[in-house]
Amino acid sequence: MLVKNIIRALRAERGWSQAALADHLGVSRQSVNAIETGKYDPSLPLAFAIARLFEKSIEEIFDDETEAQLAAQ
Amino acid sequence: MTQQTFKSAKRRYHRVFWPLMIIYSIIVIGGSFGLKQLDPEPQWLQTVLAIACAAPVIGTLLVMMRYAEETDEYTRMVQLRGFAWGGILTVSAIFTVGFLQLFHVVDKIEIFWFGPLFFIAYGLSTFVIGGRQCS
Repeated sequence: MLVKNIIRALRAERGWSQAALADHLGVSRQSVNAIETGKYDPSLPLAFAIARLFEKSIEEIFDDETEAQLAAQ
Repeated sequence: MTQQTFKSAKRRYHRVFWPLMIIYSIIVIGGSFGLKQLDPEPQWLQTVLAIACAAPVIGTLLVMMRYAEETDEYTRMVQLRGFAWGGILTVSAIFTVGFLQLFHVVDKIEIFWFGPLFFIAYGLSTFVIGGRQCS
């Protein structure tokens, strides 16, 4: 299961390129691209690093669709 | 870890990987078509030559594993899934050909051709999983 996220929007707000964000997080640009496009869910430590960098909670950045579906039921 | 670190890791990988693959290819072609005709004596020399043929392949596999360890979690996932699919396809081919030989459907097939098959399967798998950027 892959979760949606708003990393692209947060990155755009700061005017960062994918490479710049990758440098901040200590990962490759390919990783940032894969996470933004929903091809890859980051590990918990990387998700926390992303949340810390953008000064938001993990839930604000990553949208857990399973939780939304359960709530709808 | 920064972009530069990843680029350095990839450069180190390509700097060792491609020369080893060229050496391997030469040895495979030479071994397949030349060594039998030369029939070197004594027996220990044949053994040394045969084992030496495997060295570039072992080196290549170690370099691929080092790259997977040096890179970040996403690229590592792509590389390791490529390894896994390469292994699955190669072992499947070995079993299939093995049974075909056992039941006398096909004649003897040189086993070292499964080596290149692994690398092709690994390359295609990483391309499909991660795209051109990760292969």
